[in-house]
Amino acid sequence: MTLSGETPAGSGLDSDVALAAGGDQSAFERLYRTHVARIHSLTRRMLSTQEADEVTQDIFVRTWQKLGQFRGESAFSTWLHRLAVNVVIERRRSFAIQRDRMSDDPAALDLLTVGPARADLKVDFEQAIDQLPPGAREIFVLHDVEGYKHREIAVMLQIATGTSKRQLHRARMLMRKHLSGD
Amino acid sequence: MHQEWTDQLSDYLDGELSADERDAVEAHLRTCAPCAAVLDDLKRVVARAATAAARPPDADLWAGIAARIETGGAASPGRVMPFGRREARRFTFTLPQLAAAAALLIAVSGGLAWNAAERIGAADSSVSVAQPPQTADADAASPAAATGAAEFARVENVGMADAQYDAAVADLEKALKDGRGRLDASTIAIVEHNLQIIDQAINQARDALAGDPANSYLSSHLVEARRRKLDLLRRATALATETN
Repeated sequence: MTLSGETPAGSGLDSDVALAAGGDQSAFERLYRTHVARIHSLTRRMLSTQEADEVTQDIFVRTWQKLGQFRGESAFSTWLHRLAVNVVIERRRSFAIQRDRMSDDPAALDLLTVGPARADLKVDFEQAIDQLPPGAREIFVLHDVEGYKHREIAVMLQIATGTSKRQLHRARMLMRKHLSGD
Repeated sequence: MHQEWTDQLSDYLDGELSADERDAVEAHLRTCAPCAAVLDDLKRVVARAATAAARPPDADLWAGIAARIETGGAASPGRVMPFGRREARRFTFTLPQLAAAAALLIAVSGGLAWNAAERIGAADSSVSVAQPPQTADADAASPAAATGAAEFARVENVGMADAQYDAAVADLEKALKDGRGRLDASTIAIVEHNLQIIDQAINQARDALAGDPANSYLSSHLVEARRRKLDLLRRATALATETN
């Protein structure tokens, strides 16, 4: 997976991670400002605009508390992102919606009336994501936006790989419909 | 447009089809303009998603984070702020039941894990003492964590050694089966449902690891799923014993 914001070895960010792990809040604030856009976008797309602020704060507080466990075996941005995904998934589970949303719903696909192909994608991409059903939405974000593989998503969400594939196709077809304005 | 073909287009785009399936899709696309147009649209959706820009929040969230950090003290590895509800809260045990189960859990898991660790050590001295997962796991506040880091390491060892783990699971499953009559139907249903989910996660992680053995994230997930199964079985067994 390609992650934006990868931290080159020996960069100032590496120093900030070390300083923050030692309790330096100023260093941690610099890390926050470097990564907040990506983390907030993840939470906004997977949850909602209303929840994104609160969950983003939770993620950074959790990051602060767990910094001592970061051993530098991966880029800090990768570690942070994985933590963020876990927190988001936990949040979704906390509302007891995960299982229901992951169940296959063939009827939902049957209801789709996909319009003719359009040369342009008119509707705002972020708004189109907001309109996706929750199960399809999180898999679309994890796979197509964040770059996770189906097998990784299946493990994270505790679903079958086939379910992940079907939900992704469902999401893409709905995005096609939303974005072409039909 | 033909749904039997368009249903395969995402797998086609992602390279998930077999060679024969791919050839069949491509042959159809050469003769079906509507399906080819759907494919073009899906390509645009995928390309758009891959280039979606990150956007910062409208408001600066740092002040709230800083306040919570200050009230929560210095960075403390392993300590997790209360957040949401954990998966384990699917259970509907009463407080007295949980208290009794927790006491038994500590005794049973400590004994089992210690015993398993001893056997692991005797059987395979190359098994290293497991460390807490490097992956940013949001589950550090699991009930097993309450038994301390040493216990965690022992349970991890149980999780990494198939024979010992399977033996511990088999023992607990037998104990649970024996005590099944002392649990009410709804509790049994919850336990069985959760065991089914965990088993599914274990199987998926194993399958994924078969294709990518060096993936540390998958490894830690497998360990975590197995630990959860052990933990759930211990809790259920303890509950069955407590209600005796």
